[in-house]
Amino acid sequence: MSAPLLAARGLAKRFFENTVLDGVSIEIRPGRVHALLGENGAGKSTLINLLSGVLRPDAGSIAIDGTEHAALTPALARELGIAVVQQELSLAPNLSVAENIVMGAVPHRGPFTDYTRLAAETGRLCQRLGLDMPLDTPVDRISLGRRQLIEIAKALYRRPRLLILDEPTSSLTGHEVRILFGLLRELQADGVAILYISHRLNEVLELCDWVTVLRDGQRTADQALDGSDPASLVRLMVGREPGDLFPPRPAHNPGETAIAVRGLVAEGISCVDLELRHGEILGIGGLLGQGQEETLRALFGDLQAKAGEIRLAGQVQRHLTPIRAIEAGIVYVPADRKREAVLLPLSIRFNLTLPSLRRLARRGLRRLQDEARTATDAIRDFAIRVADPAQPTLHLSGGNQQKVAIARWLPLGPRILLLDDPTRGVDVETKREIYLRLRQMAADGVAIVLSSSDTLELIHVADRVAVFRGGRVVAHLDRDQLSEEAIVAASLGVEAELAA
Amino acid sequence: MTGAALQLRLLWQRNAGLYGLYLLLIALLAVYAWLHPGLLSVAGVARFTQNWFPIAVVALAQTLIMLMGGIDLAIGATVSLGCVLAASWIGDSYGGAALGIALAVGVGAVIGGTVGAIVALLRIPAIVVTLAASFIIGGIALLVMPRPGGHVPAWLSDGLAGETPTALVLLLCLLVAWRILQATPLGQDINAAGNNPHGAFRSGVNVARARIVAYAISGALSAFAGVYVAAQTGSGDPIIGGPFILDSITAAVLGGVGFLGGIGAFRGAIAGSLLLAVMINVMFFLGFPPVAQYIAKGLIIVVAMGLRLLRER
Repeated sequence: MSAPLLAARGLAKRFFENTVLDGVSIEIRPGRVHALLGENGAGKSTLINLLSGVLRPDAGSIAIDGTEHAALTPALARELGIAVVQQELSLAPNLSVAENIVMGAVPHRGPFTDYTRLAAETGRLCQRLGLDMPLDTPVDRISLGRRQLIEIAKALYRRPRLLILDEPTSSLTGHEVRILFGLLRELQADGVAILYISHRLNEVLELCDWVTVLRDGQRTADQALDGSDPASLVRLMVGREPGDLFPPRPAHNPGETAIAVRGLVAEGISCVDLELRHGEILGIGGLLGQGQEETLRALFGDLQAKAGEIRLAGQVQRHLTPIRAIEAGIVYVPADRKREAVLLPLSIRFNLTLPSLRRLARRGLRRLQDEARTATDAIRDFAIRVADPAQPTLHLSGGNQQKVAIARWLPLGPRILLLDDPTRGVDVETKREIYLRLRQMAADGVAIVLSSSDTLELIHVADRVAVFRGGRVVAHLDRDQLSEEAIVAASLGVEAELAA
Repeated sequence: MTGAALQLRLLWQRNAGLYGLYLLLIALLAVYAWLHPGLLSVAGVARFTQNWFPIAVVALAQTLIMLMGGIDLAIGATVSLGCVLAASWIGDSYGGAALGIALAVGVGAVIGGTVGAIVALLRIPAIVVTLAASFIIGGIALLVMPRPGGHVPAWLSDGLAGETPTALVLLLCLLVAWRILQATPLGQDINAAGNNPHGAFRSGVNVARARIVAYAISGALSAFAGVYVAAQTGSGDPIIGGPFILDSITAAVLGGVGFLGGIGAFRGAIAGSLLLAVMINVMFFLGFPPVAQYIAKGLIIVVAMGLRLLRER
C-alpha cells in the first residue's frame, strides 16, 4: 500500500466549553476516495478546517508526506496541494466563469494576463466537468448546481494532490453527479487523494473505497467500505447518551388542531403537509437546509407561499405577514438570534418589551412602569440571569440571549410557538431550562414547533417528529417510532434499507 | 474559444446594462448639437470637454472606491489639494511644469494609498476613513494656500484648457490605461476583491494589496483633476473641490456602478459624467434657470436607478 499523503493523529479541538473533536486520527492515501460520515455537529467541518489549515488543533499532529506541520495555514496547505471545495461558495458573482476559475492564480506573461492560456486551461476544465456555457458568462447568471461545478473546476485548476469535497452534490442534478463521479475516478486513477463528505449514503457506497465515521467528535469507524451496508453505517453515526438533560414527557394527549398545512410550496419548500395541535411539541428534523427554516418562516408569514394552504384554527390564511401572524398568536424564534431576533446593543428590557410595546401603551403613549414590570416578569419567569435589565443585551451569555429571544414573546400570550434550533450554541444548563419551559407551555395548551439539528433533542423533547428532505416531509414519526436511527435514516433517505 | 476572443467577450460583457445610457447620451448630444451648432467644431468640442473633464476624472476616482465596496468622501478635498499644489509648485519651464504636476499627482497617490491601507488593514469602514481624510486633506490644502492665489503658466493653461481638445485626448488615455490595468492579474484581483472579498481571500487573492492599489490610483486621479482645475482657472483655490464629492457619486451611480462593490466599469462612470455635463448644457440652452440643474440631477438619479431595478425584475 502506498504511503499516506496526509496522516493526522489525535486531533482535538474545543470551542469554549464545547469539545468538537476529541482525539481523531485519519490517514489519507493517494488514489483513494475516502468518505467522511457523521451527523450534523459530529465534527466533520471542524476536521476539514483543521486539515486545510483554517483552524489550529488544540492537540494532535498533522503530517503531510511524512513531514509534520505544527502551524498549517490555508496558504501552506494550498502550496502542499490541498484543495477544499466548501459547501458555501467562494465565487465572485459578477465575474465570468473563466475569471472565477483562475481567481487568485491568474496565468500571466510578464505583467499581463495570459488570455491564451487562461482560455485554454479553463476551457479544458469546463469541458471535463460538462460545463458548456461560454467562458465569459457571468457566474450570477448560471444555476446553483453549475456554480458548484465551477467551484470544483477552481479547485482542480490548482492541480491538487488532495481534493476535499464537502457535500459537493447537494445542488447537482443526476446528470451532473454522473459527470462529477467520472471525473473523480479519473483523478483517483491519476493518484489524487480524495476526501469526500456527503450525507447521501448511496453515493458514498458507489464512489468511495474507505470510510471514517465521526460521532460527537470521536471516530467510531475507520474501515474499508467493501461490504458495508447503509443501515450499518447509520448505526455507526448514531448512539449518543442522552444523560439527564431532558425533562420527563407526559403522555401525548394533544388538543385541537392549531395549524394545518396542505401542499405548501414556497422558496426552498417543494411540498409540505403538516398538522400541529395545541398542547404538543412537534419536532422537525432532517439535514441542514432541507426546507425546515423556510417552512417555519412561511407559517410566520415571513416567506410568501406560492401554492398550497395554511389553515389556522380551520381558517385558510391568505397573505400572511409577520404582523398578522403575531395578531393571530403565532410567534417565531429564528435560529440566528443575534441577527434576526435580539437587538444586541439595546437593553435587555427594551428587547423583552419590543413585541408588546403597543399593547402596553395607553392612548398612544408608552407606560414605562408597565414595561418595566413586564420585563421583570419575563426575567423571573424565564430565569434569565441578569444583573440589570438596563444593560445592553450583548453582555449576556449566548444561553441567556436565547432566553431573551424566546421570553420577549411571552407577554403577548402566544398560542403557537415556532422555534428554529433554539439550543444551538447554548450551554447545557440553559438547554435544560428551555426544555422545561417548552414542556410547561405545551401543558398550558400552546402548540410548539421545534426544529432542531440535534437528533437526540428531537427524540427526547418532541411528542412526534416530521423529517424533512429536499423541501418536503419524508417521514412522520410518532412517539413510539422515535429513535435516532429512524430520524437519521429518514434524513438520509435509507429508510427502505433499514426496514428490510 | 481563443484567448483573444475570450478577452474581447469579457470586455463586451461589461457593457451589459449600459446600452440604455449610451442611447440616452446620443439623443442628448444630438439635441445639444442642434441647440448649439458651435459644438461641432474643434474649439467647440474642446470647450465642452473642458467642462466635462474634471467631473469625468473624479467619477473614475469614485468608481475605483465604489468597486471596492466603499465610498470616497475625500475626493473634493483631494481635488482642492491637487489644485493648490499645482498652483504653488508648477514652474514656468517645461521641466518645472512636468515636475510640479508629477509631484502633485504623487501626493494624491500617497494620500489615497494611506487611506486605502487604513481601510484594508484596520478594517474601518471606508465612509468613516474618507470622511476623516476629507477634513485632514482639506485642512492641509488651506494651510498650503489660505486664500486663492498662486499661478499656473499661461502656456500650460492654454495647452490643457485652451482651443485644443487636450482633455478629450487625456480622457482616452485614461480609458486605455484602465484597459491595460484590466489586462493584468492585479486588475483581476481588484475586480475579485470588490466582488466577493471573502471568496477572493480564500482563493489566494491579496485583497489588502488590491484595495490599497485601488485607493492609491483613485487619489492620484483626484489630485490630477485638481491640477486640471488649476490650469483651467490659472490659479489655486483651497476649497474649489467641494462640489466634486456629490458629482462624482452621481456620475458613478448613473454609470451603473453599484454601492455594494464589484459592479461597474470606467466606461460607465465616463458615460455617467458625460450625461451630467450634457444635461447641464442642454438645460442652459433651453433657458432653464441655472439652479434647476440640481432638481434635474436628483430626478435623473431616481429615474435611472428605478428603470434599472425595474428591468432587472
